[in-house]
Amino acid sequence: MASDHDQTGEADGINRLSASKWASLPIGRWLLMTVVIGWFALLILVPTIALARQAFAGGLAPLGRAMASEEFRQAFGMTLGITLVAVVVNTIFGVCFALVLVRQRFWGKTLADGLVDLPFAISPVVTGLMLVVLYGPDGWIGRHLETGGFRVVYALPGMILATLFVTLPFVVRGVVPVLQEFGVDQVEAAYILGAGRWVTFWRVTLPSIRWGLAYSMLLLIARSLGEFGAVMVVSGNLLGHTQTATLYVHDGIEGFRPEGAYAASLILAAVSFFMLIGMETFRKRLKASKQS
Amino acid sequence: MKTRVQGLAFFFLALGVGLVAGCGGSSGPDASGDVIKLGAYSVVREAFHDALIPAFQEHWKQKTGRVVRFEESYNASGAQARAIASGFDADVAILSHTGDMNQLVEAKRVSPDWAKNPTGGIVTHSVVVIGHREGNPKAIADWSDLAKPGVGVLYPDPKTSGGARWNINAIYGSAYLASKAAGGGTPDLAAVADLLKRVQANVVNMDASGRQSMSSFSERGIGDAVVTYENEILLRKREGKPIEYVVPEATLLIESPAAVVDSSVEKHKNREVATEFLAFLTSVEGQKILASYGFRPVDQTSPLLPEFPKPAKLFTMADLGGWDEVQTAVYGPKGLWTSIFSDQGK
Amino acid sequence: MASVETTRSGGDTGLPDLVLRGMTLGYLGWMVVLPIIALGFQSLVAGPQAFLDAVLDPQAVHALKLTVVTALVMVVINVVMGTATAWVLVRYEFPGKKVMNALIDLPFAVPTVVTGLMLVLLYGPSSVLGTILGTYGFSVIYSQPGIVLALLFVSYPFVIRSVQPVLLELDRAEEEAAATMGASGWLTFWRVTLPTLAPAIFTGAALSFGRALGEFGSVILVAGNQPMKTKTTPLYVFGEIESGNKQGAMAVSLVLLALSLGVLISLNLYQRRWSLEDGK
Repeated sequence: MASDHDQTGEADGINRLSASKWASLPIGRWLLMTVVIGWFALLILVPTIALARQAFAGGLAPLGRAMASEEFRQAFGMTLGITLVAVVVNTIFGVCFALVLVRQRFWGKTLADGLVDLPFAISPVVTGLMLVVLYGPDGWIGRHLETGGFRVVYALPGMILATLFVTLPFVVRGVVPVLQEFGVDQVEAAYILGAGRWVTFWRVTLPSIRWGLAYSMLLLIARSLGEFGAVMVVSGNLLGHTQTATLYVHDGIEGFRPEGAYAASLILAAVSFFMLIGMETFRKRLKASKQS
Repeated sequence: MKTRVQGLAFFFLALGVGLVAGCGGSSGPDASGDVIKLGAYSVVREAFHDALIPAFQEHWKQKTGRVVRFEESYNASGAQARAIASGFDADVAILSHTGDMNQLVEAKRVSPDWAKNPTGGIVTHSVVVIGHREGNPKAIADWSDLAKPGVGVLYPDPKTSGGARWNINAIYGSAYLASKAAGGGTPDLAAVADLLKRVQANVVNMDASGRQSMSSFSERGIGDAVVTYENEILLRKREGKPIEYVVPEATLLIESPAAVVDSSVEKHKNREVATEFLAFLTSVEGQKILASYGFRPVDQTSPLLPEFPKPAKLFTMADLGGWDEVQTAVYGPKGLWTSIFSDQGK
Repeated sequence: MASVETTRSGGDTGLPDLVLRGMTLGYLGWMVVLPIIALGFQSLVAGPQAFLDAVLDPQAVHALKLTVVTALVMVVINVVMGTATAWVLVRYEFPGKKVMNALIDLPFAVPTVVTGLMLVLLYGPSSVLGTILGTYGFSVIYSQPGIVLALLFVSYPFVIRSVQPVLLELDRAEEEAAATMGASGWLTFWRVTLPTLAPAIFTGAALSFGRALGEFGSVILVAGNQPMKTKTTPLYVFGEIESGNKQGAMAVSLVLLALSLGVLISLNLYQRRWSLEDGK
């Protein structure tokens, strides 16, 4: 078929060879770029700007007043405290479990590997409900805790459990691929040189997974700061006591105090923006460390 | 390589310290002294949080020299009652209506004798009114106007909200009583159902609580009319964002109860202060504060308390047969509203 | 690959290894498996009839249909726009590209309830955009398009982030070969590029679909509460919890759970097959 065909194609074929696709035609390319960037702006940027605009619409004074209120500070304190627990517990778990998954062989490993992802798939409301079923005053475990005077649901422990649940997979998922890539040569070398497990972990394993770990920890923090549905179901929404930042936002919008909701949202959005910068940095480091 | 790890460790350490400092600052004062956990319905929030609770704290201090601290939760009445029934350990329950309080009695949280006090367990009165947009462009004057085509109506979800029960009961009750009077004692239930059905068809959104519904109307500009508590409208006026409203000729008297939750006060050992708080609500001082937030005093005859204009044909739940009967007739499995609602959207 | 996964040969698993394994598996079982078993057991304990009644409630059925339909609409839009966005980010240079690339993940970082608030502020009836749309009789907030919009926002990164790396590694030689042989641009795209991207696109689509099934925070503010109209399954479950119908909430939750698990498992199986084929 044809040299003939080849000949005719040659004229614009040059263009194709250089960029080699339909959108390489200037019009197609511009159209595609406009649509994509426009879509991005409409979907992501414009709503963000709308929030900032509304938050500052009344000037800084109402925002300041909202931020100075006791409830506001308590809500953020609550969120930070819960996040701290989630970070500590799930980072330790995540690193340990990643080590187990990568370096050990045992029956049911594939299943365990799959189970880790479940919290990503389960609706936050369902998560909350599961915790109520289990830890509520007439739940399987809650019944016994209740007689001991320990309250989980409608109190802080329930909210911590909910956050632990939704943030469980992050570190495992972030560390496993890095560990796999890293292999065991260095670890075994360290063993041969007589280093103990602990020393090997701190000196060899941890440095090798650090960027993957840092990246996934940021994702964990972001998720934990923003968790809403699961926490809402298990909290009694006691002002200043079991009210987190996101619950405070919801409470503010649904009531007559939108300024507080705007201020809190603005802070949460700003924090997530900085997290994003951190993630980007860590991801680049991760890539660089993989290539080296 | 090592310095990088240290840098990273430092980063997270700093983050951790920041987090700890963040919560350290917020951890409440001491655990000593009296504490009341309040489980209230959503619309009393301002009156309680801003005025009643501080006044009571002062009162308690003068009386006993002790400090009382409050932990407050405000939620839709039905949802709050459900939470308390299923284990939320509020010491004092402030609910929108007796039907919700009965749930707590059934769950053995509140004593069956809760209503045996001079006010019958009731702490506030109000009436059901209709808020509308400026200048009343849709010409809303009575319940039947809510059924006109093109009128966007807001009332909350009676599954969770006590306010919604009052709203729907008011519409139901006015039609029920009118047709009963016209029919010489036997009401035409089909006509009542028809009104409810046409109003429900106009409902734009059923928020979870009365407060959310009001906020949808006034803050977010949803709908043309909002069926709500009179005190919600008066509160908006107090806050400098007045909303125009009409009081329909025949409307329902809202009676909202409060009670001590026995199972909680036994656990927390604070019955004394909880009982005192309850009594404070119906004291002249308490009622004055509530009145300044738009609630009608329970004792309308007291010369010490402000007067509110009385609607022409004010009826009560007792006129409709009481909570249990309305519960079955309207919201029960075969109730009027239940059947209208499940037909909707088919 | 396999040799990397199993490091020290199975034989010399020491006691510390066993302890570590036991503790992590214990935590996983306690945190994830136990709650699911509890939910499954409690929702079925009242008998199959009660379960079916709860699931077949007209409102529950409508909520489930609405959830699946809005999720599917979102997936279709996301697949097209996500692939196009990944393409533009990988193949073209333009000012601000780096910033845009970093901001793609914003929806993962922003709390869902803040997302909901943003959309309400932007499209609500009292906003500028909402007023304009309203005059054309088109409403976003408290309506189904609003739900799709919220879902689009929260799942924006999935397709892009799955397709991007594949596109980066995609061997241009094949495309160029096709082009030299005279295949038109479109043909090259359909016959060569798209099949290579398909697994990544599918992965992104499945992830966003799974996310959309359970989405709550952003949808609750945008959808309001209109049973049979804008109540998705997570909202329905929440409403039933709040109004004290635990049986209904648990039964419908179980269905939603099964649906999300189905998505997750099929994605896992698909990826396994895909990576096997890739490997040989």
